Amino acid sequence: MSNEEVPCTDITWAPRVVAFVCNWCTYTGADLAGTSRLKMDPNVRVIKLPCSSRVNPLFIIKAFERGADGVIVSGCHTGDCHYSTGNYHARRRFAILHDLLQFMGVEEDRVTFAWVSASEGNKWQQVVNETTARVQQLGPFGAPQGQKGGAQ
Amino acid sequence: MTHKFLSHQELASLIGQLLAAKTRVIAPVRAKDDSSQLEYQPIQSPDDATFGVRLPRRSLKEFFLPPTEVLLHYKQTKAGVEIREVPTEVPPQVIFGAVPCDAAGLAAVDKVMNWDYRDELWFGRREATTIVSFLCNTMDATCFCTAVGLGPESSTGSDALFVPVEDGYLAYLVTPKGEALLQNHGTEATATMLADAETSQREARAKVEPNLAAIPVEFATWLASNFDHPVWKTLALRCHGCGACAAMCPTCHCFDIVDEHISADEGVRRRNWDSCQTGLFTVHSSGHNPRASQSERFRQRIQHKFSIYPSRFGEILCTGCGRCSRGCPGGMDLPSIVGELVALAQAKPEAGGQ
Amino acid sequence: MNELQETARKLLSDGTVNVVIGYESGPRGVRAAFITAPEQADKLIFDTRCVQNLATYLNPRRTQITRLGKAAVVVKGCDARAVAGVIREKQIERANVVILAMRCGGVLQHPESDTPLNADTVSVRCANCKVREPKLFDYLLGELPPEPPVNTLRIEQIAALEKMTPSERWNFWSGQLSRCIRCHACREACPMCFCVKCTAEKSQPQWIDPSSTLQANRAWQTMRVLHQAGRCVDCLECERACPEHIPLSLLVGYVAEAVERRFDYVASDDPSVPAPFGVYRTDDDEEFIR
Repeated sequence: MSNEEVPCTDITWAPRVVAFVCNWCTYTGADLAGTSRLKMDPNVRVIKLPCSSRVNPLFIIKAFERGADGVIVSGCHTGDCHYSTGNYHARRRFAILHDLLQFMGVEEDRVTFAWVSASEGNKWQQVVNETTARVQQLGPFGAPQGQKGGAQ
Repeated sequence: MTHKFLSHQELASLIGQLLAAKTRVIAPVRAKDDSSQLEYQPIQSPDDATFGVRLPRRSLKEFFLPPTEVLLHYKQTKAGVEIREVPTEVPPQVIFGAVPCDAAGLAAVDKVMNWDYRDELWFGRREATTIVSFLCNTMDATCFCTAVGLGPESSTGSDALFVPVEDGYLAYLVTPKGEALLQNHGTEATATMLADAETSQREARAKVEPNLAAIPVEFATWLASNFDHPVWKTLALRCHGCGACAAMCPTCHCFDIVDEHISADEGVRRRNWDSCQTGLFTVHSSGHNPRASQSERFRQRIQHKFSIYPSRFGEILCTGCGRCSRGCPGGMDLPSIVGELVALAQAKPEAGGQ
Repeated sequence: MNELQETARKLLSDGTVNVVIGYESGPRGVRAAFITAPEQADKLIFDTRCVQNLATYLNPRRTQITRLGKAAVVVKGCDARAVAGVIREKQIERANVVILAMRCGGVLQHPESDTPLNADTVSVRCANCKVREPKLFDYLLGELPPEPPVNTLRIEQIAALEKMTPSERWNFWSGQLSRCIRCHACREACPMCFCVKCTAEKSQPQWIDPSSTLQANRAWQTMRVLHQAGRCVDCLECERACPEHIPLSLLVGYVAEAVERRFDYVASDDPSVPAPFGVYRTDDDEEFIR
């Protein structure tokens, strides 16, 4: 899905999406998206970490608790990790977190895991816009369907 | 103590009237996740209440000291810090079908809640609540209320005690609140009803008494003088220190105070249940822990309930409900533990260790 | 005296161990036994009521037990995996524990009921047991009973949850977790929760609020189950300890199934086999990653 199919629209409720990104690949890729002036939804707050393996699953849980409606977690493609093996460990953790969150009733579309390299500005744009659009559809986190409300 | 007869219909009608007047009525109901278990819950109709089936799985404590409660709300503003305390007055409520051990537990905790500081939240709820206990007839081998000076017929902590008789209840009106509740209900009790009620109470007591002999008055002193007895080293080996016993106990009341932020400049101060059985309960900021192993922590539990609290407030901090033992995943059984310790105390009446 | 009792008696009388941790009959049914005198060894029993995972008592934090001296512990095959776990994670040395492994044909879901073992009464965790004859042992004892009957209740409950919509699942867990009073009995009874200071007890920063609000309870249980992933041996002590009867077996069961599905790993009773989160494969699943 390219950006043209997912326009940024003016809406009354805007989702808050937190993105945990690795410094070496994804952050650089996001920077590239910015310097290339690619249009992206402004709802994403980026948190830079040294590596995707720094992402403690608790960060994602805490983000939802503190008001996030969606979360993006992104790092280097496997084999390209700046610290060699960080994203291999992270991949295992994310796999179980992904499955468990669904089992607890968190919609799959609220959490996006991605590998975005330093040259993939376009991919970052897609990840941001698609995640925001999907979370927009789902509504605020933790509220009964279609209603506003804080996480509970 | 005055008394009157209340038929089943009259009880239902009384409950119905209270509900119609928007008074909160709490009674034992079947648990949603397991219909063989009962819980004290607010009811919407007299039919929801299930009396005389078994001991509800949790005590009444949570209605007076909730597992978590907000004490105050704070907000940092340009002018300083705004503090908003929670109200200490609550609307009136009535509890029907309290088991005597649960009502007595509240009376025991009243003492410490009014000791060095009057706990406004506890007493706000206590004052708003009328408690009607029912004679207990669902005792099992783990009950030992008679050993701690109470009994299935005890009215300690209750405003009224209902004893089932033919077609209804003999209602003993224990306090002015109990009298006020039944002011416009009930009829005069006959001599037969009185005699039947007394027989029921005697028979109920007789069912519990064999479980554990009455704890002698000297037990508290023996505990105080035998703090270093070798028995403490091995009594609690199987105890996990999980604190489930304290959570279920009608008289355990320890709490932790925490501040939780809602945002960078706003938050709440909360009071949460805590337990001396957990590893970090007595850890000092230096890292030293005077109760470093479960042996010391379990000793504390027994000492507090059966020695320290009695010497300070004149009563045992235990009502013999048995929940701690039924729920313990490690197989700790309080009646047999207390029995073992009392036997030690009676074998060696002199103070001091071995 | 049976084989177990005789072995225990010998280990105690020749000084190989100072305490044998096993099962005995107590006032409320079967409970853990701590036998320190050889003549008390005849208290040891082993039957379908021996549900508790005694590996929890090997935790070095439990100084009231460690100060008794070297221990022998009675384990079933499932419990042996927990012993392997604490050895693997360097909490105890293999040489410092004597493992008395019992051949097992299943245990009761409700041991206090003392009923015969059948598909309704057997514990849900005994289904398809592959460790009836434990492989981690110093002594392998007892007769091998027939395979346990299969209690499909948990399999059905998890399947029912998986068929629900996310919103229905969310509401299910809201209902269950609103009862959690944060007593942490689940953690204390768990053989693999051996941390001196749990993440939930840290306040600098406060990752998990200690209050029993629904939001904090959800975070606590999610975090605990995640910390157990790949380490949990499915002994279900957590569920048995919970005073609020929250069905924690559904959470740990689901995660164990996810770990097996994704990493082809089941908690191993071989301490030299690494747990899944310490290692990786370059071809691990990543179909969920864009």
